[in-house]
Amino acid sequence: MRILAVGNSFYGDDGVGTAVLDRIRATGLLPDAEIFDAHSDPLALIDEFDPEGLNVVVDAADMGLEPGTAVVFRPEEVALKIRSDRLSLHGFDLAAVFDLARGLGRLPARLVVVGVQPAAMDPDQGLSAAVTAAVPRVISLIQAEVRKDGTEDDPRHR
Amino acid sequence: MSTAAETTTGRNLDIKVKHLTRVEGHGNIVVDMKNGVLARAELEIVEAPRYFEAMLQGRSFHEAAIITSRICGICSLGHQITSLKTTEEALGLEVSEQTVLLRKLLIHGATMQSNVLHAYFLAVPDFLKQGSVFPLIGSHPEVVMRALRMKRLANDIGDVISGRAVHPITPVPGGFTRIPTVAELEDLKRQLLDQMMPDLLATVETLKGLAAAIPVFERETEYISLRSDDDYALYDGDICSTDTGRVPDREYRRMTNEYIVPHSTSKHAKVSRSSYMVGALARWNNNHDRLCDLALTAAGALGLKPGCTNPYMNTIAQVVETAHCAVDAVAIIDRLLGAGLKDEKPNQEPTRFGTGVGATEVPRGILYHEYTYDRQARVVKANAIIPTGQNLANIDDDMKKLVPEIIDKSKAEITLHLEMLVRAYDPCISCSVHMLDVEFIE
Repeated sequence: MRILAVGNSFYGDDGVGTAVLDRIRATGLLPDAEIFDAHSDPLALIDEFDPEGLNVVVDAADMGLEPGTAVVFRPEEVALKIRSDRLSLHGFDLAAVFDLARGLGRLPARLVVVGVQPAAMDPDQGLSAAVTAAVPRVISLIQAEVRKDGTEDDPRHR
Repeated sequence: MSTAAETTTGRNLDIKVKHLTRVEGHGNIVVDMKNGVLARAELEIVEAPRYFEAMLQGRSFHEAAIITSRICGICSLGHQITSLKTTEEALGLEVSEQTVLLRKLLIHGATMQSNVLHAYFLAVPDFLKQGSVFPLIGSHPEVVMRALRMKRLANDIGDVISGRAVHPITPVPGGFTRIPTVAELEDLKRQLLDQMMPDLLATVETLKGLAAAIPVFERETEYISLRSDDDYALYDGDICSTDTGRVPDREYRRMTNEYIVPHSTSKHAKVSRSSYMVGALARWNNNHDRLCDLALTAAGALGLKPGCTNPYMNTIAQVVETAHCAVDAVAIIDRLLGAGLKDEKPNQEPTRFGTGVGATEVPRGILYHEYTYDRQARVVKANAIIPTGQNLANIDDDMKKLVPEIIDKSKAEITLHLEMLVRAYDPCISCSVHMLDVEFIE
């Protein structure tokens, strides 16, 4: 499985993806996970998806929820759930990157997004208290996805 | 996203493009013409200002490049290299020839990456009269795949040399914390020759077929870029103006003259005229004699001539210099391997504490940083002048000349021409609105 983060860690809560990867590294949780940080280049995800395995993308996303709320959704729901995300590498937000990957036949079948509602996205270092507290919850959500993925009787799954 | 508020009625025109797409950050195009008199034609910059200069104050020289590379997710490498050069100048840190070559290789990778992204994903859809790159996935999948392949290889250069392509980690003041291996460099060279070269030739063919879609519009302006005696200046050189010639980079303030305008949260700049242009077209106009044969062949095939005054040709100039970057990247790898890679440690022993200026050609034009350090090697003062900010006055001047010339076209066509014009500059608005603090404080 692969865990992919997007976001700029010098943009406040936009760095939640990087923080989740850091915590996974530091704690040794999810030892089988390959991790990749796309930083602020979400287009790089297209090259880094695992075509066969489970892919989890962690992203700060304005979903109009309480700061720190973490939500799991499928790529086709991204445009519906996310009101705006900071990553805008020339307008390539997550929905656009998924559309591009899908059009090129490179969107993996097993892909979920964990969106975290930011409190503040300002050019500064460090996460808000609400999003800092969300980091372990994000990891629990990823673990739950891994468990589900392993047991799910889905023809797309090996 | 274009929103049409009014329709054209003879010589009345009211255009407002809110949050222009396919540029980095938020800008609006505003045109207001009444009875044939142009009251406004300008690019409004509405993005909230950022305070990186203030964030730098009190930071150690180890941190300056790390922080400034975060000014932008696209331009991180350019900011980082410029920051390192600035710190080294201020602290008297000499760097080795190997360090310079590795940095030049990094800049080639970043320039190729950015230029490919702009040409294929942002400009080509305009030439094909599409609103975005997405319809091309169905009609021209091989073109989209080629663009992604080229971008990926350009990213790989960053990954190999700097640890990672976006927000690089191994370049530090005085050198690199890790030197790439011979095998890594040989692999990059092989990919550049086997993959990038054919893709570049195919790119030229694709764009040749689209040349008729590039608007014909001429406005002579002042073109400013770096210029070097040794090579096509990207890593360093003197500041060179088509109007006033060459001056050393420490004189950057009089070659920028930043000022505030009401319609922009980014500062504007001017030198000899009301505006000047930086970026690939300025580099082409100043330095075409320093390009390799492949780049010159591409320029000939795509109709780019010395002394070009059509800003829409900036995209073509980007493609031409991408060819140069690929060829020169191979030459640099050969030099590095020929000299033998040395496991050097970064030189981080300051020999003085003062002020330094660094200037680098990043994809969108000249980037300047200036820092002053105290005796503990902490930043006491910082300034950064970003290419997009330097181009904003030029974009406004282009619009003021362009709108009357195309006033007989439909409002939708005029709007598209204006959007294409702004996109031709490949503006990075996120970068440009990085500072208003100095003026507010004083």
